[in-house]
Amino acid sequence: MAKTFTPPVRFTRLVLKVNAFLLIALLLVAAFVGLVAYKQGWFIPQTGISFVTRNSLGINKGMPVKLYGFTIGTVSEMRLAQNGVAVKLSIISSYLERLPRGSRAKFARESGVVGASVIEIIPGRGEQPLAEDEYIDFEPGRGLSEIIDDFRRQAVPAFNEIKQVMSQFSRSGEEVSGAMITLRREMERIPETHRAVQKLLESATRASESATRASDSVARVSGTVEQAVPALFGKLAMTLDSINGAAGEIQRTGSEAQDLLRRVRPVVEHGENAARDAGNAARDAGEVIAAAKRVWPLRESFKQPDALLPIDSFEAYGLALRQK
Amino acid sequence: MKPPRAALGLLLLLAGCGAPGPQPPAAQARLADASQRGASQVRAGDHAGAARRYEEALRIARSLDDADAEAVNSINLSIVYQRMGRLADARAALAPVLNDQRRAFSETRRLQAELRMAIMDLAARDAGGAASWAKRARERCQALNCAQTAAILNVQAQAALESGQPAEAITLANAAADRARSQDDPSEYANALRIVGRARGALGDAPAAVQALEKALEIDRELADPRKIMADLLELAHASLAAGNKQAARNYQERATAINRALRDEK
Repeated sequence: MAKTFTPPVRFTRLVLKVNAFLLIALLLVAAFVGLVAYKQGWFIPQTGISFVTRNSLGINKGMPVKLYGFTIGTVSEMRLAQNGVAVKLSIISSYLERLPRGSRAKFARESGVVGASVIEIIPGRGEQPLAEDEYIDFEPGRGLSEIIDDFRRQAVPAFNEIKQVMSQFSRSGEEVSGAMITLRREMERIPETHRAVQKLLESATRASESATRASDSVARVSGTVEQAVPALFGKLAMTLDSINGAAGEIQRTGSEAQDLLRRVRPVVEHGENAARDAGNAARDAGEVIAAAKRVWPLRESFKQPDALLPIDSFEAYGLALRQK
Repeated sequence: MKPPRAALGLLLLLAGCGAPGPQPPAAQARLADASQRGASQVRAGDHAGAARRYEEALRIARSLDDADAEAVNSINLSIVYQRMGRLADARAALAPVLNDQRRAFSETRRLQAELRMAIMDLAARDAGGAASWAKRARERCQALNCAQTAAILNVQAQAALESGQPAEAITLANAAADRARSQDDPSEYANALRIVGRARGALGDAPAAVQALEKALEIDRELADPRKIMADLLELAHASLAAGNKQAARNYQERATAINRALRDEK
């Protein structure tokens, strides 16, 4: 006769114990999963907004979305669209009211050119907040080449100004050289002018002497006219000849003087022009230097620091302080 | 091809920044060098060394007949001598700028020298002399619209306060504060607030005095000048005591004492 099996005492209510163990394990797993889900923000209600970009290079799923540097969501989905890539952002619903209509998304890096990539939201000026699944504008980030291009665009006017200053320098140099050449030419003509003036003076002296002689002759004629009537006509004719000669001499001298003046006038005019040119050149040079002083980066070279220490009225307090 | 061209442009631009400026003559260079070294030594607190440098700069300026450099270095010497406690020398340094009418010192330098004289008179508790020099400086300054207006007004305010006219001192110090703010001069702005605080205290308005002095302390802490911070704390201790706040007064006093001890240890 077979003996009936009697389970050992220690296994009494075994099923119940196993079930309890499994239940506790299940609860622990559920709690862990719940904790992970909570930490991952699965219980936080999120709203989706999207944008379309022609170039999604650098944008990844899970990338943070920031407003004023504060994380308000993540990039949740990316799919190929008609004209580019549609990127969906999951924004924590409670922050959506801070994103008014007209807000834009922008690809940025945390430290400007380098650092982690983020999607930055630039709030718009609208009054109503964005709605769920609304599309917003996207502004692609500027790469190093764009930044350098931008810098170049800003630097080109400065370069042009420097170039202009340099050409002004060069032109002023030419004007000064021209003025100096004219001056030298006029200086070379000074001995000639001097000789012409000397000749004029000599001619004038000769004319004066002739006039004196003519006057003496007239006096002699008038003195002897009564005594020598027969010789009167002959002498009178001679006197008239002398007067005619003197008059001719004076006339020649006058024409020589006029000729001299005609020759001197260009010299004077040239001198005036040369002086005017030199003045203009000096003024131009002054203006150019003044302009150069204003132009970056030359102005740093011209800056003269004031070596005076700051005069601080607190120095008047010094001894009063010690006496307290 | 864009980036290399842009980089070349950037390089050229930076080369322009690095171009050396015009070279001054040797004596002028020595003058500038002595003056700059003096300024560095003042910043480092080496007043004796700074005085030697400025004396050298003054000799060079005289040998070059450079009136402006002579005036600048005379004023700098007077500042350094005063900090060293050599008050007679500080006054003597300014004498040529103030008295020699034949030299071509500019009006600006003359008014700066007059302002320095006013400051030294006030430091020596000669409020009358300070007021007189400050008045002369202010007259010149008004004609030139000079940069020292706030400092002059502050000296006049201090002179008024020392002469027992706190209301007048407040008016002048407020004008100085306005001017300093418009000229973006935080140092004189804090000085003006300190004077307002002292004057309010003299008028018995301790809470207003504490308010002005706290503002001055805030600015002076940003400027990081221990002497001024110590002065603010001492004045705050007085004002707090007058306001009946003994605990705050003790606190300010202890902080001022700590700064004084640190300054002594530094020396």
